[in-house]
Amino acid sequence: MWQVYLKELKELLRDKKTLIFVILLPILIFPVIFAVMGLVMSSTTSKAMQVEHRYAIINPAQAPEFAEALYYHKNFTRVDTELTEVDALADAIRQGDFDVALVIPADFQQRQSAVEQSEWQLIYNQSSQLDFMFRYFNELMDKYTEDLQVNNLTQLGVDPDRLHAILNPVDLKRVDTADTRENIGEKIGALIAYILIPLCLMGASYPAIDMGAGEKERGTLETLLICPVSRSAIVLGKFLIVLSTGLATTLITVVSFGVWAAVIGSFTGMDVVANVVSSISVLDLSLIFLMLLPTSAIFASLLLAISIYAKTFKEAQNYMSPLSIVVFVPLVASILPGVELTKTTAMIPLTNVALAIKELIKGTVDYGLLLMIFASTVVLAALFIAFCVHWFQQEKVLFR
Amino acid sequence: MIEIKNLAKSFAIGKGSKLSESEKKDVRFSKTAFHSVRDVSFHCEQGEVLGLLGPNGAGKTTTLRMLSTALKPDAGSVFINGVDVLKQPLKARQQIGFLSSDTGLYGKLTAEENIAYFGHLHGMKSALLKQRIDELFTLLNMHDFANRRADNMSTGMKQKTAIARAVVHSPKVVILDEPTTGLDIMTTQTVLDFIHSLKALKTPVIFSTHHLDEVATLCDRVVVIDQGVSTFAGSIDEFRACSEQGDLRQSFLSVINQAQLAETQGAA
Repeated sequence: MWQVYLKELKELLRDKKTLIFVILLPILIFPVIFAVMGLVMSSTTSKAMQVEHRYAIINPAQAPEFAEALYYHKNFTRVDTELTEVDALADAIRQGDFDVALVIPADFQQRQSAVEQSEWQLIYNQSSQLDFMFRYFNELMDKYTEDLQVNNLTQLGVDPDRLHAILNPVDLKRVDTADTRENIGEKIGALIAYILIPLCLMGASYPAIDMGAGEKERGTLETLLICPVSRSAIVLGKFLIVLSTGLATTLITVVSFGVWAAVIGSFTGMDVVANVVSSISVLDLSLIFLMLLPTSAIFASLLLAISIYAKTFKEAQNYMSPLSIVVFVPLVASILPGVELTKTTAMIPLTNVALAIKELIKGTVDYGLLLMIFASTVVLAALFIAFCVHWFQQEKVLFR
Repeated sequence: MIEIKNLAKSFAIGKGSKLSESEKKDVRFSKTAFHSVRDVSFHCEQGEVLGLLGPNGAGKTTTLRMLSTALKPDAGSVFINGVDVLKQPLKARQQIGFLSSDTGLYGKLTAEENIAYFGHLHGMKSALLKQRIDELFTLLNMHDFANRRADNMSTGMKQKTAIARAVVHSPKVVILDEPTTGLDIMTTQTVLDFIHSLKALKTPVIFSTHHLDEVATLCDRVVVIDQGVSTFAGSIDEFRACSEQGDLRQSFLSVINQAQLAETQGAA
């Protein structure tokens, strides 16, 4: 078994493609992801913040102070229009005549004097994810309504010093019991599992193809089978090397993630991230690795079984692509909002591992559940390995 | 010596697969299985070279695979120097050297590493292995490319490496499946020289081939397999006697024709 293992290891280390997949990719993927995300986010955000919104205003004379504030705001440019109907204004926005229309009712001042509520209409396309226009508008609106409130209440004879207490009788302060680690862990923990687990699969898949279908394609399988070594020993040797590469990829990824998170944290003054990363103990990291161990074993045996069945590299690759989609389904389930680690979710393969990793990063893991997940994944892995060994004894698989 | 008796092997056919017209005519196809090898018997004495002849798809490769323990036969027996191959496959494998024309090498490993890997798998100790590899390199004139990776070798170098790999453990019997098919003249000669050297060492060789000139120069015995049945097994002289002029090609054709005649008569 170890003969097979050592020989496969030697071959892999001499193969540039493996090195790229197993070592280079995990080292580079995080800085690339961080950089791209940061760049895109900051550039689109700053762009969105600088855009000038063309607006049309109906009945500006009813609220001259507000109209003036809007006019002098740097992100708003006034456009004159003849239209007054909501539908017509919406059509004009769709055609691109202007971006936003504000309809102030014609009886606004009259209703103000009578201390009655009025309805203003703001017409614009709300599908944008970065809705800075509404934020700017709201700031102006808040200021304007506050001025109106002060005005009205003063007219009604209220002491201006007490205005604040009258308008906001209760000031609610929320005290968070979750520490920073838990907060950030909740946000990035699931994402980390979401990256780690597919990398386990990806790191293992290339060597797996080489080990089964590759042997068939090169014509070395038959000679290997007639060596005085049991087929179980051969397949276990191959399994171990696939497992090792999968784990190596994962390990390098974890380390690379840690290093890059620290580097980026120190750069942009994001001390919070750096603190969270440093608060994850070696024990937690080892536990994450321990969770990934049986998971990788499942992947390794599945990939190897596929690869042994396939006649060629290409065929093996064709079978493996649906597998990666199948792997993503339970992972996506784990990052859905509201999905927590419970006794039920702990029974779903892969989802449970992803959730456990998230809990470990948050530092709020239930060790009982963790043990249960580990045990169930180990059992599952053992079943898959047994299947793989059995599979490798089948003539109909080896000599198709 | 090697003794094979009434060997048979069938492969299950997938339920959905449709048989072609020519396949339906083949007597070996039943509804659920393809009886690749139905009844093959022959034997080969110490120091003899046995040539396995037969049309494409006759069952030669399947027979050799069963002999080399890669496949398990459904029925029959295989003995190599008294070792029951079916009951003690691991022990039998230590005595077998196997090579076919499409046997490959590990491209990332050098000639020496390729050979050493199989030596180790055969349980050879490092010191002995080193000595044996050196011996083989001298014999096959391979010292020049001992440390070259298989990916960068010429076909001839690869074939020499494959030969050395097949006999690194000094097998008691060597099985060759169409060892010269698709090789150029020089490389073919390497293989033939290798068979000659085995013959000189009194190592029995069983090889399948389509080249009758190879049979004429090398073989002591001939076995003809057709439609999974060994229709002829005997010495080269007996085989020659199957045709009036003593021409091997005519002998082969007459053996095949007689067998098919018997088969149709049997069916009728």
